[in-house]
Amino acid sequence: MATSRTVKVRVNGVDHEATVEARKTLVDFLREDLGLTGTNVGCEHGVCGACTILMNGETVRSCIMLAVQADGAELMTVEGLAQPGGELHPIQESFRDKHGLQCGFCTPGFLMTTYELLSKHPHADEEEIKEWLSGNLCRCTGYQDILESVKLAATRLRNP
Amino acid sequence: MAAAEPKLPEQLPVTQPRHVGKDSPRMEDPLMVTGKVEYGNDIRAPGMLHAAILRSPHAHALIKSIDASRAEKLPGVAAVLTGKEVKSWSRPVFGVPEGWTGYALAVEKTHWVGEPVAVIAATDRYIAEDALELIEVEYEPLETVADALKAVTGEGPYVLEGKQSNVAYDRKFSFGDVPGSFAAADVIVRERFRWHRSSGNPIETCVCIADWNPVTGMLTLRGSHRSPHLILPALVISLGVSSQQVRIIQSPLGGSFGVKTFARYVILISLMAKKLKGRAVKWTEDRIEHLIGSSTHAWDRHYECALALKQDGTVTGMKMELIDDLGAFSEWLAIGMLLKPLLCLGSCYRIPNVEYACKGLVTNKTPQGPLRAFGLPPHFWVLEQLLDVAAKKLGLERNEIRRRNFIKKEEFPYVSPSGNVYDSGDYEGSLKLLLEKSGYDRLLKEQEKARSEGRLVGLGVVSSIEPGLTGPPMLALAAPRIFSRTSSPEGILVRIDGFGKLIAELGFPPGGQSQHSFVRQILADYFGVELEDVQVITVDSLSMQPSTGPISSSMAIALTGAVLGAAARLADKLKRVAAVMLEARADDIELLDGQFRVRGVPGKTLAAAQVSQFMMARPDLLPEGIDGNPEATYVWNPPDRTIPDERGFGRYSVTAAGAQHLCMVEVDRATGQVKILKYVMVDDCGVRLNPSVVRGMLMGGMAHGVGAALLEEYVYDENGQMLTSSYMDYLLPTIMEVPAAEEHEMCTPSPIAPLGVKGVGEGALHTTPAAVLCAVNDALEPLGIRITEAPMSPLRVWKALQGASR
Repeated sequence: MATSRTVKVRVNGVDHEATVEARKTLVDFLREDLGLTGTNVGCEHGVCGACTILMNGETVRSCIMLAVQADGAELMTVEGLAQPGGELHPIQESFRDKHGLQCGFCTPGFLMTTYELLSKHPHADEEEIKEWLSGNLCRCTGYQDILESVKLAATRLRNP
Repeated sequence: MAAAEPKLPEQLPVTQPRHVGKDSPRMEDPLMVTGKVEYGNDIRAPGMLHAAILRSPHAHALIKSIDASRAEKLPGVAAVLTGKEVKSWSRPVFGVPEGWTGYALAVEKTHWVGEPVAVIAATDRYIAEDALELIEVEYEPLETVADALKAVTGEGPYVLEGKQSNVAYDRKFSFGDVPGSFAAADVIVRERFRWHRSSGNPIETCVCIADWNPVTGMLTLRGSHRSPHLILPALVISLGVSSQQVRIIQSPLGGSFGVKTFARYVILISLMAKKLKGRAVKWTEDRIEHLIGSSTHAWDRHYECALALKQDGTVTGMKMELIDDLGAFSEWLAIGMLLKPLLCLGSCYRIPNVEYACKGLVTNKTPQGPLRAFGLPPHFWVLEQLLDVAAKKLGLERNEIRRRNFIKKEEFPYVSPSGNVYDSGDYEGSLKLLLEKSGYDRLLKEQEKARSEGRLVGLGVVSSIEPGLTGPPMLALAAPRIFSRTSSPEGILVRIDGFGKLIAELGFPPGGQSQHSFVRQILADYFGVELEDVQVITVDSLSMQPSTGPISSSMAIALTGAVLGAAARLADKLKRVAAVMLEARADDIELLDGQFRVRGVPGKTLAAAQVSQFMMARPDLLPEGIDGNPEATYVWNPPDRTIPDERGFGRYSVTAAGAQHLCMVEVDRATGQVKILKYVMVDDCGVRLNPSVVRGMLMGGMAHGVGAALLEEYVYDENGQMLTSSYMDYLLPTIMEVPAAEEHEMCTPSPIAPLGVKGVGEGALHTTPAAVLCAVNDALEPLGIRITEAPMSPLRVWKALQGASR
């Protein structure tokens, strides 16, 4: 039988407390219980990276984590990227300006990966960027414009 | 239409186009980068249930019994649907040729691993999946046929009930004097090739939310299915519903690549909704289901080919015989992928005598479904390989043999042996540009140096065309009763409100191709407004104009035609109103830069907003035949297409984009891994409405092509068991495998398509596999080995290397 647990998380700066089944994945919890549908599910086995979010500042695959494993954590999803006034984050702006997305489904995962990368390595070179992005699959763009988007975002974040 | 359709951007009613032809920002992006776009799986309807599908573990088995009683009793389970009900409520899934499909759920037997056997609806997906485990199915495994070469022999087992054969389609097309060309040839090259099945694998899987109201009889469908006007007939035929009682509301698509044009799962979830009597049910395909079960595999081909050549390298004849393993059913439009090469058998080359013999076989594998480029990539790969082999045999340089056979610039419009027309092109000029831009001579020297060091470095330089806006005439070859028509309509509604803002209603949602953005660009230029002044929305199947959807790179062509037609009609209405306001003859009114004015009378102008306000406010003053509605619709259809005659001779497509690609690879002797060192492409897709969007389509197509060439493969064992049901086994290219490519533009505007555009949405997938695979074989040449199977996966290359060293 499914057992339930209470989970406390802070998501995009907002505190939530909820009772969830122990087997519920973190991405299902975010999407179904909290209504944060920006994080997408692509493969459900940790390969495609579409479900990537930040947990305590580090990227995780929310499709292969359980909600209960996030108890007490601080999470950030794509909904937390834009400024409170709705102004796009420089990473979002850069993806738009460099045509770093087409269908947009893998994009939240790429944005969150880029967020951690540039927070930790603001001067990341091309090889480092590729290394970081190699865990995210995109079927539309061919990656090159995504790479250019990340480079532009890095420049903009260094010179705000 | 009042005015002739503009054939170039300069002919738009604007002094200088400000948006068309420019890298204008996409209107789709703000929602997408903020996570606010509502994809199918984000939809929640009141009281909605969730479906899960039980799938066959056997490739071929009789269903002796199904006991769902334990599943039905599980708290939260609302209903279980099995084959018995599906058989009584529906007809088999639509397919071409007719009679080669099964029901949406297995009834008496299962035909492939992954075929749906039962569907459960429950209050939550977790419970629905729990309940799947409580269904008891008694199977009696049957002998399996999972190899098309065995299936073609005519001996059983037979995949489909009631059939005494596994050959669903068998047709030979012949143009010119093929035996004569081979008899007179100086040199003949023959090869066998094998292309293994792969598919599109959009990152978003398929989603369907169905709601069948028992009181009104209305079936409402939401989700990721696209091209409602294609899905609707399949629903009407299979479900027996009335067309106006089906309402399809499309969500933005997280990629499709053709695979979401399909109707099987829509039929299945609709039937579950019928059983639920008014409660909406959502099914979201999981990745394993997508890989094994969703009829999205494509091109499982065995080729036997030959080229006849003169000593100087002129190709005089070609024979191509192929067997395509369609999987268990010849479902939906999959057969069209065997027929599409007929449009461009000789690709960029003038090959006067051609024979094309194709067989579609059913086997106990996942059925095929439509996929980007629709069957051409293997065809082009085979042809380019043959040219490379012939060049070596004749002692010709790889580019020289191509040059000698290219259709020349002055030969356009070119009528191919099968009657199809290529609109324009400059293949030789494109190749020249490619060789210059890539520094070809330098690359040859680099290769020579690498080889002298014992490194396996190879080059591939190949060509292809992309036929834009193909369609029904091609399918008439397999189903004349249904498809003997020349239309692929694309319609749009354009209106202007009282504030001068424009609204366009389309029949399809954002899906990566950026069509909403270029509709906005064209309208902004046409009416001289800012991009922000144009709104573009997707409407449902009951509201939309006749529409075919983004098929066969039709969007830029057909939608541009539709927008221009509707804009002209709207402008014409407004001109007649402006004539009243300006006290002039309607014929004397012109629209320029968004202003209506009397021709030759400067200074007296009306903004479009003034005219539309007047139109809605003063019906008493409107001229005869003009109502108070500032809107117009237009349905664009491809011109000059013909239905094929009995030989298969016909005009099938509208445009022919050309592509020349260069690829340089290095093969690792120890591991068989292929690294792409350099990739350069020249593309001629006529006028580019939004260059960065075109580049995106090409780069994405190239990435898809790299996957198809080197990584992606659905592998089955001899019993039809699938061995690649996760992304651990089915390998997709990452940023590490996809090279940073250079892309250069050649532009020969289409003389036929509006604004001179050519379809390019299927993109580089046509050309890239050939470029990569030719390069790998060139790299292996010093070892005296060639690989004639795609993908040239690391394992396959490694095995070939092992063979060479022994």
